Amino acid sequence: MNRKFWVALSALALIFGAFGTGIVAAQSPTVVTVWFHSGQGAERDALTAILDRYNASQSVYRAEATQLPEGSYNDQVNAAAVANALPCLLDFDGPNVYNYAWAGYLIPLDDYLAQVPDLAADIIPSIIQQGTYQDKLWSIGTFDSGLAIWGNKKMLEAANVRIPTSIEDAWTLDEFNAALEALRAVVPADGYPLDLKMNYGAGEWFTYGFSPILQSFGGDLIDRTDFQSADGTINGEAAVAAMTWFQGLFKNGLTSATPEDDNVFKDGKAALSFVGHWVYPEYSAALGEDLVLLPMPKFGEKAATGMGSWNWGITSTCAAKDGAWDLLKFLLAADNVKAFADASGAVPALTSVLEADARYAEGGALNIYFQQLVGGVAVPRPQTPAYPVITRAFAQAVDEIAKGGDVQTALDKAADTIDRDIANNNGYAPRN
Amino acid sequence: MAVTTPPRRKPSLYDGERRLALLMLSPAALLLLCFLLIPFFMAFGLSLTNQRLISPNPTEIIGLGNYRELLDVRFFPLAPRLDPDTNAPLRDAEGNLVYPAVREILRADPETRFFRELAQIDLFGTRYLIAASDATFWRALANTFMFALIVVPLQTAFALMLAMLVNQKLRGMNFFRTVYFSPVVTTMAIVSVLWFFMYNPDFGLINSLLGVVGLGPFRWLEDPRSALFSIIILSIWQGVGFQMVIFLAGLQEIPQELYEAAQIDGAGRWRQFTNVTLPSLRNTTIFVVISTTILAFKLFVQVDVMTFGTGGPFDSTATTILHLVNQGYRQQRVGYASAISVIFVLIVLVISVLQRRVLTNREV
Repeated sequence: MNRKFWVALSALALIFGAFGTGIVAAQSPTVVTVWFHSGQGAERDALTAILDRYNASQSVYRAEATQLPEGSYNDQVNAAAVANALPCLLDFDGPNVYNYAWAGYLIPLDDYLAQVPDLAADIIPSIIQQGTYQDKLWSIGTFDSGLAIWGNKKMLEAANVRIPTSIEDAWTLDEFNAALEALRAVVPADGYPLDLKMNYGAGEWFTYGFSPILQSFGGDLIDRTDFQSADGTINGEAAVAAMTWFQGLFKNGLTSATPEDDNVFKDGKAALSFVGHWVYPEYSAALGEDLVLLPMPKFGEKAATGMGSWNWGITSTCAAKDGAWDLLKFLLAADNVKAFADASGAVPALTSVLEADARYAEGGALNIYFQQLVGGVAVPRPQTPAYPVITRAFAQAVDEIAKGGDVQTALDKAADTIDRDIANNNGYAPRN
Repeated sequence: MAVTTPPRRKPSLYDGERRLALLMLSPAALLLLCFLLIPFFMAFGLSLTNQRLISPNPTEIIGLGNYRELLDVRFFPLAPRLDPDTNAPLRDAEGNLVYPAVREILRADPETRFFRELAQIDLFGTRYLIAASDATFWRALANTFMFALIVVPLQTAFALMLAMLVNQKLRGMNFFRTVYFSPVVTTMAIVSVLWFFMYNPDFGLINSLLGVVGLGPFRWLEDPRSALFSIIILSIWQGVGFQMVIFLAGLQEIPQELYEAAQIDGAGRWRQFTNVTLPSLRNTTIFVVISTTILAFKLFVQVDVMTFGTGGPFDSTATTILHLVNQGYRQQRVGYASAISVIFVLIVLVISVLQRRVLTNREV
């Protein structure tokens, strides 16, 4: 290199250096970087509006948000963690928190939450349950999820099917089977009784939505006493019975593994839709008074349903952790929790908001979700760092079973995949 | 994968020209070094460890452990089940011998605890079980070869056919050239989503069209027998335009006099094609075949999108790269995925070298 080059480079460095100090001297707000998954339209808009309000409300911190596509969100978070490029505050699908906490890229929130006892007391128990791993709280959601069955009242009445209104009088397996058969007669020729949202594809939905069926039959994804083995549980007798029944739905034409699109229930081509709270805004717009929410059936001794949803964590590499907490606190403000729940139909994470919401009160459109969450029906997904592998293995098994594969073989394969992963990670022993 | 072969004869360069040559080579060489050679050696290094994407556990060197897990295949002779009373072999309703459950045999030995069945074969009156430590890897490898074996000749032939079609001197030919080329400039992910809907067994366009002539309905992506075939069709449709353009350039390079001379000699259209067009396109064809082969081995996006990353049903569409991504990213096993990538590079390298040998050694 010649001298001129170095002179030019030094000059450039001087100019930029000067600009740099200028920026610092101006005392601009501390930037808090935020990542969130781009979910349903209404949810996304509500969150964007809340972040805008946050930036307008104060000048100490400024939230800079990036939306990432939901499908590969977990991959992107992992890649960013490797590259040391995680944002300060990020949301993630609930059960991934255990893996993130184990890997060490989240900080516990207990100390922060202890500073605001009013807020701590207001958060509903299921949110705390989901965010807890190794006795510390690693994440907080602004809403919880609800999973039950949406029904088309007109069709249910036409088929003379009993409509349960509480978790106590939920359908039994025999009743559910009979209802499905009766509904065959009232759905149009190109429709079917039950929509399972198989169009979501082999991903988190398969685990969130269908592992409660295993649990209700008496099985589970993994032995939860020590989270060391799935063999004998995910492929045990109860699980095989559950998934054999599940496969029967497809074999008998009661549902479809390849729905035409996302609108089967809205278009009146299915009488029941087995899906979570997030469809509530569009379903109620399409069906109005004909939309009813039915509790999860009791496939075995007791009913089971999913819980937990997207929640927020603060990263250990964040330079502005206090800012990230300040923003998270803002997201958890009653108004914002309410705004988000109104937009998405999700269960608000604050008892105060939940109790004030007529939709969750007795007789309200979403009351079943409330009953399931407080009535012990909801089961958290396995609280282990092995969760990402568990969910992939189970989703793949569900995919194979829905397409007609041998149930025992598919579940055996899932059990081996999970157990091999746990062995490869020395049992996912907790840090220190 | 770029393969550089040394020139056959060492060119005699003057000193100054040699320096100039090195200088002009350096950008490409630097890029190859940074993005090909160094990563390859890094991958080889990682493949000897149990490196995880994210883990609090320290990385340990485990020697060839990953390769053993990846490549271990074992044969077990199977003895038919015996009737406990008579000691005669048990037979099922159709009179076939009954064999013990594979999983029980494999789990009996802690070494083969996680093995899965690849196949069962009858040899000299004995039934053998072939089980692999990573059965998905072997299926993926077989699928990848199958894909390449079908796609390379078909796509090359189609590309040449299309190139000859759009090489006609007719009005509006540019329109057809654009139409045939348009799938190439469409992102594969979008093409895959569109075809996913077209393949829907109940409502998809393809089954609707076939239904008109009384065929189907086929469960394209749901049936393990047709899933890979479905991926092949869409891949050829998407990729053929690129090779078409290369062939088109090759066709337009052929001097018109050759055809005139052939006509004077009394050659018909077919003789002109086999004796003028094909030999003149020799170098173009070599390029098309080698580049299509390498692209075929990299099969990933279509399968990832259309099967939601599962390579299903039952590994019927699993591919080597998909398995690599699933292991390295989605199961966070960077060390293991590195071992897959090293094996994969070696396979592609051998095939590329062989292809070059076979295709370029024949002098015209």
